[in-house]
Amino acid sequence: MKKRVIATMAAATMVAALFAGCTGTSSSSSAASSAAASSAAASSATDSSAADSSAADSSESEDLGSGEITIWVAEAVVDTTKKLADDFIKSDDKYSGYTVTIEAVGEGDAATNMITDVEGGADIFGFAQDQLARLVAAGAVNPVVGDYYSFVESSNDAGSVAATKVGDTAYAFPMTSDNGYFLYYDKSVITDVSTLDAVVKQCEDAGKSLYFQINSGWYNTAFFFGAGCTVTYETDEDGNFTGCTCDYDSENGVEALEAMIKLASSSAFVNGSSASDAVDYAAIVDGTWDKTTVKDYFGDNYACAKLPTFTCGDEQVQLSGFGGFKLLGVKPQTDAGKLKVCLDLAKWLTNADSQLARYEAVGWGPSNLEAQASEAVQEDEALAALGAQLAYTIPQGQYPNDYWSIAEALGNDVIAGTINADSDLMAALEDVVAKFKALAK
Amino acid sequence: MGETVGKTDPMVKKKSNDMKQSKNIFVKAGRAIASFFKWIGNDIKEIGVTFKEGDWKTRISFLIMGFGSVMRGAVLKGIALFILEAAFIAYMVLFGVGYLKKLPTLGTVETHFNDLGVRVYGDNSFLILLYGLLTIIFIIIFIFSWRVNVRVNRNEEIILKNGKKLPSNAKTFKSLFDENFDKTLLALPVLGVSLFTMLPIIFMICVAFTNYDYTHQSPTKLFTWVGFDNFVNMFSTATDGYGSTFMGVLGWTLIWAFFATFLNYFLGMAVALLINKKGVKFKKLWRTILVLTIAIPQFVSLLYVSKMFAVDGIINKFLLAHGWIDKAIPFWTNGTYARILIIIINLWIGIPYLMLIATGLLMNIPEDLYESARIDGANKFQMFMKITLPYMLFVTGPYLLTQFTGNLNNFNVIYLLTGGGPTSTTLTGGAGKTDLLVTWLYKMTVDKTDYKTAAVIGIMVFLVTAIISLVVYNIIPSVKDEEGFQ
Amino acid sequence: MAKAITGKRKVPKMHKQHKVAGLVGAYILLVIISIIWLFPFVGIVLQSFRSYLTEDGGMVSYLVPKAFSWDNYAFLFSEGSGFTRWYINTVIIAFFVAILQTLMVLSVSYALSRMRFKGRRLLMNLWLILGMFPGFLTMICLYFLLKNFGLTQEGAIPGLILIGFASSGMGYYVCKGYFDTIPKSLDEAARIDGASRARIFFNITIPLSKPIIIYTALTAFMAPWCDYVFASYVAFGKTSSYNVAVGLYQWVNNQDYQGYFTRFCAGGVMVAIPITILFMLLQRYYVEGVTGGAVKG
Repeated sequence: MKKRVIATMAAATMVAALFAGCTGTSSSSSAASSAAASSAAASSATDSSAADSSAADSSESEDLGSGEITIWVAEAVVDTTKKLADDFIKSDDKYSGYTVTIEAVGEGDAATNMITDVEGGADIFGFAQDQLARLVAAGAVNPVVGDYYSFVESSNDAGSVAATKVGDTAYAFPMTSDNGYFLYYDKSVITDVSTLDAVVKQCEDAGKSLYFQINSGWYNTAFFFGAGCTVTYETDEDGNFTGCTCDYDSENGVEALEAMIKLASSSAFVNGSSASDAVDYAAIVDGTWDKTTVKDYFGDNYACAKLPTFTCGDEQVQLSGFGGFKLLGVKPQTDAGKLKVCLDLAKWLTNADSQLARYEAVGWGPSNLEAQASEAVQEDEALAALGAQLAYTIPQGQYPNDYWSIAEALGNDVIAGTINADSDLMAALEDVVAKFKALAK
Repeated sequence: MGETVGKTDPMVKKKSNDMKQSKNIFVKAGRAIASFFKWIGNDIKEIGVTFKEGDWKTRISFLIMGFGSVMRGAVLKGIALFILEAAFIAYMVLFGVGYLKKLPTLGTVETHFNDLGVRVYGDNSFLILLYGLLTIIFIIIFIFSWRVNVRVNRNEEIILKNGKKLPSNAKTFKSLFDENFDKTLLALPVLGVSLFTMLPIIFMICVAFTNYDYTHQSPTKLFTWVGFDNFVNMFSTATDGYGSTFMGVLGWTLIWAFFATFLNYFLGMAVALLINKKGVKFKKLWRTILVLTIAIPQFVSLLYVSKMFAVDGIINKFLLAHGWIDKAIPFWTNGTYARILIIIINLWIGIPYLMLIATGLLMNIPEDLYESARIDGANKFQMFMKITLPYMLFVTGPYLLTQFTGNLNNFNVIYLLTGGGPTSTTLTGGAGKTDLLVTWLYKMTVDKTDYKTAAVIGIMVFLVTAIISLVVYNIIPSVKDEEGFQ
Repeated sequence: MAKAITGKRKVPKMHKQHKVAGLVGAYILLVIISIIWLFPFVGIVLQSFRSYLTEDGGMVSYLVPKAFSWDNYAFLFSEGSGFTRWYINTVIIAFFVAILQTLMVLSVSYALSRMRFKGRRLLMNLWLILGMFPGFLTMICLYFLLKNFGLTQEGAIPGLILIGFASSGMGYYVCKGYFDTIPKSLDEAARIDGASRARIFFNITIPLSKPIIIYTALTAFMAPWCDYVFASYVAFGKTSSYNVAVGLYQWVNNQDYQGYFTRFCAGGVMVAIPITILFMLLQRYYVEGVTGGAVKG
């Protein structure tokens, strides 16, 4: 397994070198030589990772040097991470030369900031999985290979392991398996959560709102995937998008869009998914991260469930959507000792205990199998609803940054009424699909 | 000339005038180029003369700057020139030559992982381009100061030849606070602008001709020159081109700038007239209330205003609660509503400024003018149209121009209210219905890290601003003559 | 003059009612305008008194909080909120930018207004052209320039001061326009008495330019309080280097901060109070500067 990963890494570097050889002005000979160099690097990387595993056994002899490690995580888990990182430094003398600084940087900003200035960015950072390809393309994440990869593969659920990969190489440690959405509702207002129409009707009758962020490429797949459509991208080893498969421009796609238009026309509908900004709502399609806010708001009437079904053409179809993951990435380092410490720390921060600690502090659903099996997690209502919904979702792959803007634009057109029941929906979707496909070169 | 024009009919006359004007521009440009070459020619001749007629001190100064001055006793000047040369040579040897050499390719050594799986950084295209440009600027400055050095030697020789004495070092130093005070005053500002505005702008203009974006992000990846590809893409109407989006955003930018400028202008004046109306009391109170919008930071006030008008904001909730509407008004999600609302909210920001300005200026209009108009039986509206407005327009003409160009780039209002949204499938590149070119540029830089496209948009903003300014400058006579204000 | 008097006499008494009606109309309009202008501020202040602990820190559909509380303000000044740090950062930036920018602007304005030297027109035209490029264009370049000097993230505060004043010489228009109105004969008289240019600048021009100096310093002082865009770009990833705009903005703009809206409002009030007081105290000079600027272009 190890060998295979490293071989693909080498292949990736070769592709990269060749690619540069084509676009740049460097001659083919230099491309060839750098490819040769990188395969040499790959073969010795095998040795070094072998050395890593042996080093883990006899750690005292190792000198990892000293330095400072910066970690970016979401504001909510800063304190937890701080504690975990301190425990890590104390766990072994060889880490004692390092100090750890934790900064609150949101998962969305983290990726953008890392790309803007890799050198100035954090050494370890949390991000939502949809940013991975972008980060790989910008060279901001270190490959996770060898023992580290074995750890990732053996201790996390399959979906989250797949989410760490671009091409065949893993680039991150899974942190959560809860980046999906389901329905929170007020059980005093809504008694029937089986169909979307029923939910909308009950909200309308009660004069309350239903929040559903249909202007997001993440949330509106609930309709399209539910109707049986797909949109996927293929990437090369370098994080560049090479192909796109999308069948939104089909009968099913039109039916999904019709359902969105119908939802948007309801007086109860509000576009949005941020519970703390939501006002007078009886139902909200949201994720586990807003659990506390929603719980506070609904009080005793708090309830959650998988998403309802929606009217697609003339049958009821389950709303689908993305199942996503939060990941922890390590920045490529120029110092071998620091790289090892960073990788060890990232591993530590994503092990079963750390994931449980985060679950207890902020309710993030673990990706670690052992943590998932724990009693508290098993009994969590929100995670149960998410689990029920996950059966209908599609694991989120890699999407280009512009995919999200185009999908958002489509949702905005529906909300604004630019695309309405009288429009040529097929033409609109054909346009969108053409734009999706233009993103892959 | 006048005779021949006189014989033709008016249409032709106008046309020929236009042609004459456009011809004038070419003639002017031609003359400018000709005089530039003449100047260069003269300059080289002068350098030659300096060398031929100069003594050995002067001749050595051609190689070692400031040598002649030091030998002749003008130590301060001489040492300054010498330090300049030494610093330049040191820079060139240590960095300059290396960066210059790499400038044509912007680097060839890729960042890679070494044997230990540790990253080794290769060439940094960004720094190569930046320092390459800086080196070119340094070379130009050096040539210029070398020329100064030659001229200094020449002048010193002439002064000595005429039997006069060179100004003492103390006097040279003192002159920096007297006849050369401008150099002292401007040194720091010019350095600041050159380093932090001019160099970055030149850099970004160059970036428009490269493929610098998130897949070519230095220091991990190299970027390189691509010619006019980005400009072609900006105007291309293919699916992944920005052609229609650019035109859409540009159109809205112009519409916005027009309304934001003129609505504010007239309504601001109206409010000023209202407050200054005879008999209205608490003038200061009314003014202070309005002026609050200037004092309170916009990121606080505009963000709140933006939330007020949200679908679930208090305005909609209020209207719904009173049964005046039965479905929330999509203020921000409907492109047309958002555009109108943004212009209206901008009044809230803009009127106070105009109110202040108009109040100040209205007081300057001689009361006699109104009195005599009143006697002639003019009503208020006529007086406004015949006296107030012409006066205001005359005085604030140039201000309107700067307001207009300022509004083309009015980032805060758009960014804080809508963030450029709502986006639409009719637009690409993440642009929304209320995006100005400048907010789109911001999105390209920060959200998409697509610097090459951002650079192209920036150049377009410059072109639009420059064209509008040029046209207006030629219409308003008072702007042209800068000395006329004094 | 005589005409004017007769004109005034001619105003017939029967128009008085009409005049009163006009005044009433004016007052009604002014009150409506005042309500519109004040509404958002009242809203912000009211939100800032809604407790995020006992009521709701996010968005709600009502304006007046159910119970008035100081919780949001208490949070701002509690340890760990970061607000005090951001506030001090902003004060430091604003203070230095105000001083240095005023010096730059005064220097440039005096040189361009009073002295005639080779390249003067060239300089003015060049700066005019540079000014036509949008400022955000060069963000990435400025970021890496500052980074080279170590003035990003940890060093963001001095970095922002540097960027705040370095190019401020370009904004000389209003000040130069003001200097142009100071009679040149004053300078000439002083020169005849043997005063150097520097002496004239410090002893004659500057004392006569109090309004424009205050105007320049005031606008320079106010700008950093609103600087979100560049400040967030330079300080990213280092919470302790944020200014108030960046710190507060993330509370409403970042998904990680749930229910921070009322605290954002409280922070906004804390920022607005000193600025507003300062502005109101110096309003007279501000008006003079703005009006002068409008006339001079």
